Amino acid sequence: MQNEEIAVRAEHLHKIFYSVQGYWRQKRRPVVAVEDISFTIHEGEMFGMVGPNGAGKTTTVKMLSTLLIPTSGKASIFGFDVVSETGRIRPKIGFTFGGNRGLYGRLSGLDNLKYFAELYQLDPASIGKRIKELLEIVGLTGREADRVETYSTGMQQRLHLARAMLHDPQMLFLDEPTVGIDPLGAREIRHIIKELVNRGKTVLLTTHYMFEAEELCDHIAVVNHGRIVALDTPAALKARSSGDSVVVIQSRDGSQLIQQKMLSLSPIVSHSHVSGETITIQTKKPTRVLNALAPLLESSVITNIEVRNATLEDVYVQIVKENEI
Amino acid sequence: MKSNRLSFVWKQMNVQFHMRALSVFSFGLLVVQPAMFSGIGYLLARMAGRAMPDLFHVIIGGGIMGLWSSLVFTSFFDISNDRREGTLELIVGSPTSLGSVLAIRTLTNILTGTISLALSFLVVMLVFHYSPPISNLLPIVFSLGIMLFAFWCIGLFLAHFQVWSRLSGTFINYLELPIAILAAFMFPFEYLPHWIRWLSNMLPIRWAVTALGTSFQPVIEIQNLWLDWLFALGISCVYLVITWYLSSRVHDMIRVSGELHSV
Repeated sequence: MQNEEIAVRAEHLHKIFYSVQGYWRQKRRPVVAVEDISFTIHEGEMFGMVGPNGAGKTTTVKMLSTLLIPTSGKASIFGFDVVSETGRIRPKIGFTFGGNRGLYGRLSGLDNLKYFAELYQLDPASIGKRIKELLEIVGLTGREADRVETYSTGMQQRLHLARAMLHDPQMLFLDEPTVGIDPLGAREIRHIIKELVNRGKTVLLTTHYMFEAEELCDHIAVVNHGRIVALDTPAALKARSSGDSVVVIQSRDGSQLIQQKMLSLSPIVSHSHVSGETITIQTKKPTRVLNALAPLLESSVITNIEVRNATLEDVYVQIVKENEI
Repeated sequence: MKSNRLSFVWKQMNVQFHMRALSVFSFGLLVVQPAMFSGIGYLLARMAGRAMPDLFHVIIGGGIMGLWSSLVFTSFFDISNDRREGTLELIVGSPTSLGSVLAIRTLTNILTGTISLALSFLVVMLVFHYSPPISNLLPIVFSLGIMLFAFWCIGLFLAHFQVWSRLSGTFINYLELPIAILAAFMFPFEYLPHWIRWLSNMLPIRWAVTALGTSFQPVIEIQNLWLDWLFALGISCVYLVITWYLSSRVHDMIRVSGELHSV
């Protein structure tokens, strides 16, 4: 569905916020949220942004959706400047931000949609029909009269999607739309998002879940510390670890010992990291790693060991760790 | 995408009524607080040896306090709730201008505030058996209209500050009583010291309240009334012009500072 027309063009975007420190002698400390981000999204494309918390994904989305002005750099949506041509952009875009925020809890789902339909200046004669259609799409028919505060997180997220689609925008910014939702609910939301792209919408999706990005996106940008550290198709990103295996070791108090062992094998270990009692080692030669660890298996240092093929998530972790400052 | 303006205004007001204007908190602002102000005013008048209090300033003044408090607090809570709930950025990010949304909200808050005013009129008429002279009906209605307009203008002006930054919103809360004193809701304007009157004169509501008070007098000095009306309208318009200028500036400033949400 993707075509050659450019929907989003971001060029060297920077965003600096200022945090105030101290009470009496206050100091303004600059906090760099986004540092030199550039990319383009074609019409009909599903573009993913992944990265750790605080990487700059939401700030980037907010700059592109006209809610924040970049400190420097330029961005345009369908050729319109995000700073000076907000009036041309806003009717063409829809956005949702993850979590329970962004809805009026004391109002019903229907009243929320009616309210935002008015804000988006929809023809009053067609509002009812449009809302009915959207409720059907997001699977909330029958619950529209209930107060939003009684909805589950998944239902609220689906209502967010319906709200963002009210005015049938050409472009959607979906910031972590499946955060905090159970796997079944998340699957339903991913299905709705896929349908949107099938209908020709351009989507910028941010997510923490690599499998989600892999399943949905045409291109993925890995963002860390306000910069894009990798940008490619999911297949190309995955190819970075082609042939790699991942050895996942559960260890009780032995992580240092294992890491020392790995140091001696450093030429064959592409990447390793420790998280609690879990040590993850990415390598092209898992048998050599296992051989090196064999003496530790006899003692009770290692409680479990597993070898599997590298996934996109492993690539992501590798990229992010490589770019740690 | 064609929207009927009236339907838009109604839908906005409907949300406002549902969400905040008709809450328990508003009941306190519109009924309990003004009743306390009027009650204390009445007792003070009795202690000062007056058999009958100055009905306009003590009782209707309490109603005006209710209107003013509703405007300040409800506007403040509207915006801070929107900020906290993440709906402020949805409003700003929509094709409808922030100024229009604030204008309708302020209007709704004023209309809700008139409940307090209406109750004070009822108390004056039913408890104190006061009936305004029929000949004054037109000036009273006209003064009332101008007063509501003046409140709307100043409310809209303050709402933009509340959007601009969280801190200024909190600060405006603290201005509730000082402005009520400067605008002389509950006592004649002449009681204010001369050195501070220039500040009062910059508030359109001070002129509007004075005009309403004059309209309730048995004998109206029409010359004074005209002057109060003119000042109330003129200064209100100045506030509107400043607000119009502020509107686009605030829109840009919050997009720079990132003050659209609070976590």
